[in-house]
Amino acid sequence: MGDNLAGKTREEKREERLRNWLRGEGIKFRSVRARQAYQERATRLMKALLLQKPDRVPVMLPIGNFPAYYAGGNLKRAMYDYRFLREAWTRFMEDFKDEMDAFHGPGLVHSGTVLEILNYRLYKWPGHGLGDNVNSYQFVEGEYMKADEYPALLKDPSDFALRVLLPRVVGSLEPLRHLPAFSSLLGMPMRLVAPFTRPEVRSAFKSLIDAGKEMAIWQKYVLGFNRDSLAAGFPMLRGAMAVAPFDTIGDSLRGTQGVIMDMYRQPETLLEAIDMITRLTIEQTISTVRDSGGLMVSFPLHKGDDTFMSDKQFEKFYWPSLKKVIDALIEEGIMVFLFAEGKYNRRLEYIRDFPKGWVSWQFDQTDMANAKKIVGQTCCIWGNVPTSIMCTGTPQEVKEYCRRLIETCAPGGGYILTGGASATESNAANFRAMMAAAREYGRYQ
Amino acid sequence: MEKQWSEMTPAEKRAARFAKWLAPPGIKFVSRRAEQTYRERVNRLIKTITLQTPDRVPVILPMGFFPAFYAGSNLKNVMYDYRELRRAWKQVIRDFDMDVFDPPALVWSARAFEMLDYKLYQWPGHGLAPDASSYQYVEGEYLKAGEYGAMLENPTDFGLRVFLPRVLGALQPFQTLPPSSPLAGMPMSYVMSFSRPEIRRAYQTLLKAGRELEKWGRAVRDCRRAAVKAGVPVLRGGFTTAPFDTLGDSLRGTQGIIMDMYRQPEKILETVERIIPLTIASAVATANASECPIISIPLHKGEDGFMSRQQYEKFYWPSLKRVLTGLINEGIVPLVFAEGRYASRLEIIRDIPRGSVIWWFEQTDLALARKYLGDIACIAGNVPASLLVTGNPSQVKDYCRRIIESAGQGGGLILNGAAFMHRGNPENLRVMMEAAREYGTYR
Repeated sequence: MGDNLAGKTREEKREERLRNWLRGEGIKFRSVRARQAYQERATRLMKALLLQKPDRVPVMLPIGNFPAYYAGGNLKRAMYDYRFLREAWTRFMEDFKDEMDAFHGPGLVHSGTVLEILNYRLYKWPGHGLGDNVNSYQFVEGEYMKADEYPALLKDPSDFALRVLLPRVVGSLEPLRHLPAFSSLLGMPMRLVAPFTRPEVRSAFKSLIDAGKEMAIWQKYVLGFNRDSLAAGFPMLRGAMAVAPFDTIGDSLRGTQGVIMDMYRQPETLLEAIDMITRLTIEQTISTVRDSGGLMVSFPLHKGDDTFMSDKQFEKFYWPSLKKVIDALIEEGIMVFLFAEGKYNRRLEYIRDFPKGWVSWQFDQTDMANAKKIVGQTCCIWGNVPTSIMCTGTPQEVKEYCRRLIETCAPGGGYILTGGASATESNAANFRAMMAAAREYGRYQ
Repeated sequence: MEKQWSEMTPAEKRAARFAKWLAPPGIKFVSRRAEQTYRERVNRLIKTITLQTPDRVPVILPMGFFPAFYAGSNLKNVMYDYRELRRAWKQVIRDFDMDVFDPPALVWSARAFEMLDYKLYQWPGHGLAPDASSYQYVEGEYLKAGEYGAMLENPTDFGLRVFLPRVLGALQPFQTLPPSSPLAGMPMSYVMSFSRPEIRRAYQTLLKAGRELEKWGRAVRDCRRAAVKAGVPVLRGGFTTAPFDTLGDSLRGTQGIIMDMYRQPEKILETVERIIPLTIASAVATANASECPIISIPLHKGEDGFMSRQQYEKFYWPSLKRVLTGLINEGIVPLVFAEGRYASRLEIIRDIPRGSVIWWFEQTDLALARKYLGDIACIAGNVPASLLVTGNPSQVKDYCRRIIESAGQGGGLILNGAAFMHRGNPENLRVMMEAAREYGTYR
């Protein structure tokens, strides 16, 4: 795909991506009806993304891990029993096929077996640090990179990742501490083999190989489902995932406490690292999209939220690098989706500054009237039925909340109805109420 | 040691390393006689290195792969069969009177090479005739002129995805890995690459090659220990290369690096700057793992014919000097092998602390070397390989006499070949020892 896009403007590149996506290139639809449904849904979503008026407000159901429960199981079972995982999502899709325009596949339900083989320390999951019935993961934040390790990270980022970071966050890769600096292999490739003479290094890589094999099995089920859902007429929105440069450092390297200290104690070093990670993120994300041919890149955002940092800090540490990544993706004709977890009320003025119709923002607890007024001029906005209402409200309450959202956000187009966050513990009736609201109140003339 | 290593001076560190060399830990000598001879030999070397007068000129027999042929085998066989390797090198330990022993650490495992599809060498039976007596190095532009930036920005990523797949055919699938997979984003994306069978296969090959090299390493260590136990010290605690050569030999190639000296000199200097600390760190680690404090550094592209004096002073010597200094400060003795001719460099390379380096010359006149370096460094050399291979014992012995007479007054000389005699008359090696005893005894 990369090749025939070379030399084109960003609009032309996007045009081509959109055309392929709308046409459903390469999808074996299961029926004429499914093909037609796909095209209707894709057109509806595309128009919303481009800030045009579709026939009605599109609905993205915030299902989270709901399908596992709807099928009578739980997250734990879905993580270990891939057949069940696929069946659960299939059942959900069949039962709700008229109740949604889009939904997320099971790609974020990781394989529990893979995580166990690796002794993965960044997550706790049901049956592994969490109760069997818990319905989501717990991210385990830590200072996986120490305050004085920035220079090592900057000098040779992948070396740092392989020899320092991975041994800390992936238990079975602890022996990778014994690897020599890979850069010292430049020119002396046989040195690469020397660490492999150590049985513990071999066993680390064996566990990677085992995990990889297991992951390939898991992928077969997940990709199988994704194929089915396309064949059934559901366009896939999420292409590659990416992380804001500040979050890469704040979430998985330094942790919240560490990164907050760094903003005060070593701001220049932090900025230097952010800069480097920005370049890597751009390179990696573009290469992933070229390989996978997806339409959008999506970012779950964490530490730029209103309460995490001041406006000044957002302006200095969070936003410029993220903006740079988004701008670079746009230049490649790639659309961008950002999920602003938490509150973004104080950020709206910053985050609107994009060419019209390239960027989408899903808001969690942000005031949608303001979002529409400020961000809605240039970006499609998504949101934000609160998880609390989805999980504890009645269908009438959900529908009523959706009506108000539609009245606030839908005028003129550029709006997608969805949750503020995922609502695993919700119920079938409440999910159905969202589409009912869109049908009743969300038609454009 | 009462004093913390990090608090010791370079001299103290070297004294500690010399003490370890004199009394290698974990070694049971075959006899008291062997133990005594071992000490004598190490002491002779230490005195020579430190520019004191020893009892006589020490000798390095320039054997290279000679033990394979001497044992009735050849390089190909010992590269594939570690039992043959052991047999050959142990036979040399039994049959030769020698001051130092060179373990077969450079007789690589052809099995591991084959598994990995190693492209930097041709070897007997693999690109070379089965009875060839050495390797052929395969130079190439393994780093392209436009790739310095990528390499400097993220060396490991570049190494994994670009360099290694070019020189190790078995790792070709690494070319398709996503950039810097383990860092940007989540660790799971690194693991994700293992879901692809071709990536797993590449790693499985590495594991296999690792197991193979483990066996090979045992054979090399066996020979090494056998020599020490029999009273023959080992001369090399490891190898490293000059930073400029790391770049010029195996990354850019001769042609590439010469172009770069004109077209992008800053990139060379920047890269070499990055290579210096890595070189030092890995050489120190190897020396720490050995009882022998000597790190061997074969030099290539700084030779008289390769570059001008100005280029040598700008591109070659400063980084080499920093590596030498780094090693000396850790108490290590660099054994620097100046391949080719080094006459025009002698003045420049004087710039090191006295008695801390062995300079081994190939075609440089030793009398001249002595004149420039005699008060600074021990020199070694340089019976021509041509003479060793084609001459008769009395010619060799006579040549040795002249070396000792012209460059050995009062110590500071190690009698050695100019290069290796991989194949030839065993007597030609034996007379080197004879010459040292006859003409090189100090009183």
